[in-house]
Order: sequence, then structure tokens, then C-alpha cells
Amino acid sequence: MMTCQNFRVSLQPGTTDAELIEHLRHCDACLDYAMSVDPDLFFRSIGGEELVPPGGVEAFVSDVMSQVRVRDAETSLVPRRSMSVWQRLAIAATVAAGVTGATLVYRLEQSHPAPRPTGAIAAAVTPVTAHSAATATKSFVETYSSHDATIVEVPNDGTDAKVVMIFDDKLPADL
Amino acid sequence: MAAEVLRMIPTKESLEPDDRQLVEQIRRGDDGAFEALIRRKTSKVYGLCYRVIGNSEDAKDISQLVFIKLWENLGKYDPQYAFDTWLYRMVTNVAIDFMRNKQSRDNAVNSNLRLVKTAVDPEQTVTVQRKEVEAVFGAVSSVLSPKQKTIFVMSEMEDLRSSEIAKILGCRESTVRNHLFNARKLMQQQLKRRFPEYARLWEESR
Repeated sequence: MMTCQNFRVSLQPGTTDAELIEHLRHCDACLDYAMSVDPDLFFRSIGGEELVPPGGVEAFVSDVMSQVRVRDAETSLVPRRSMSVWQRLAIAATVAAGVTGATLVYRLEQSHPAPRPTGAIAAAVTPVTAHSAATATKSFVETYSSHDATIVEVPNDGTDAKVVMIFDDKLPADL
Repeated sequence: MAAEVLRMIPTKESLEPDDRQLVEQIRRGDDGAFEALIRRKTSKVYGLCYRVIGNSEDAKDISQLVFIKLWENLGKYDPQYAFDTWLYRMVTNVAIDFMRNKQSRDNAVNSNLRLVKTAVDPEQTVTVQRKEVEAVFGAVSSVLSPKQKTIFVMSEMEDLRSSEIAKILGCRESTVRNHLFNARKLMQQQLKRRFPEYARLWEESR
């Protein structure tokens, strides 16, 4: 422990000596002298002391821990994003590839139209052949004959009017 | 021989994990390690908050907030850097934010207090009392910006070097010295205006 006499002999303006500062912070008798040597020591005299929060350290620790637990409980209720950056990137790449592929297929179909669906759609509704289109109202439809055409009759509730659809690339424009 | 044997016996300090080891334990889910870390750092964190904020209840709240943020962000701590630097950075950020918000609310009140205090007789003899120094600091430091005050406290009261403060605040050392210079100048001006009995000590010695 430094004596007051040693302190006064050793003190120089702008000192950073830890022992001198320590003495300054605990000796009221030397405070005035220190100020006369270096006024900047005025506020340095109030530092260094270990400060304890109101209520003590243990109460403080317990307060913090309880708040941390509350926050932990709150965040555990919210679904966490458990995916890593790489997983997210992989998903993004897959989505991008899917969109690009779909666009390419769509453009390809636009430039080279595929043949009209025949079997599958025809099977879904009541299929009739061109020769059995007896339900059509126009007489010349009744006699229309084609090997390529798909004629579908939309089922109705038994009224007189019937809807018949003919899919044929070679169908005459004036029909 | 005896000295060598003694050196081999672990002391209490050497048995206690250092800050980085505690952080590692916390990351592995050890709540007890976090409690130990809070216990170890409370005085430092609270001390800095109290000296910057100047109010024990606010300082306590801010210190608690710092530790909660610490818990939430511990995953971001890089053990190759000093733990205290990282912790102090968190403290200064939270304290400066708090001060900025508080300063705007308190400006009107403080301006009235200044007028009251200038009525002291500048010729009266004065003996410096430590408790009074604290009160004077609380009053005159209100003119400093939150950053200036934080730097002043870290330098003058926490005895941190300019280089350490620069690391904590993520700025250049010259910036820290500049803030310190301005802070001292502003506080001396305030002392002359509001506490002329103490300001005389400067004038007499210079």
C-alpha cells in the first residue's frame, strides 16, 4: 500500500501509474493535492471502485436467469428455422430449375403443338363414333364420316337437346 | 523442491474456467456456466452502465438487458477475440442507445437545473469531497454526447487504454483521443459555468 508521502512525491501530471491512481481513489487527504498537480485527475478519482447493482449480485443473477428462461420459453413456441443455409440454397435451386424446365417445355409445346388428345379424353365421356352420331340435330352431321375424328357426346339430364363435340383436324370449314 | 510441488498444486483461480471456456460450456447448453459468467461480469457491466447512465435503477435494467442480449448472441462470439472486448462492445451499444433516447427526453429538465446551480460563490474555498465529485460529474457530463461520455468513462474511470476503447467501439484510436479531448474541454467549460468553486482548482494550477 502506497503511503501519502510516496504518492505526493511520485505524482506527475498525466500519470497512468495504476498504483498512484489506486491511492488517489482511496485517499481523501491526497485528492486536493492531486488536483493541484493535475486537474484531469478530478474525475479519475471516482473510478476503479467495484460497483454492485441494487439488491446485490445474487438477486441480479437470478433476475437475469429468470428473464432468459422466459425468453427461451417464448422462442420455443415459435417454430424455429432449423434449415441450414445450404439446405435453403438447395431448395431455392430446385424451385428455380423446376420453373425453368416448365418454361422450356411450355415454349417447346408452343412451337411444336402435340397431337390432340384422343383416347384419354374420349374415354372420360361417352364416346360415340362418327357413324353413330344419330343424336345430332343437323342431318349432314349424321352422315359425317371420318376415321380420324373423335366425337364426344356430353351427357345430359335426358332433355331433347344434346351437345356433341367433334374433334377432327380435317373437318371441313363450312360444317 | 517445495516451491515446485506448490506450483504443481492447482490454485482456486487455475481451477476456474476462463471466459472462453465458460462460453464453450454455455454453447453446449450448460445454464450453470451462464450463471457463473454473469456473476463474474456483473460488477464490470453494471459499473460501466452506472457511470455512463448515472442512475442505479436504469443501470441495473440496462445491465440485465446486456446479459440477455449476451445469451441470445453468444453463438456469434468468435473465441479468437478477447471476450471482454466483445462484452464491452455490447454494453456500450446498449448504453449509448439508452442515453440517446433518454437525452432527448431530459433536455428540458436539465436546462432548468443548470440555472439553479450557477448561483454558487466562486470565491469560496473548497475541499474536494469524493461524493461531491460524483455528483459534479453527473451534472457536468450531461453536456457530453452519449459516445463522448462512454469514451470518457472507459478512459478515466475504467482505466482502459485508447487502443482498447477503439477496439470496443470499432473506430480509430485517433477518433477516441479526439472524443476524449473534446469531452474534457466541454466538461471544464461546464465546471466554470456551474461549479466555479471547482473550476478554480484548474485555474490555480495552470
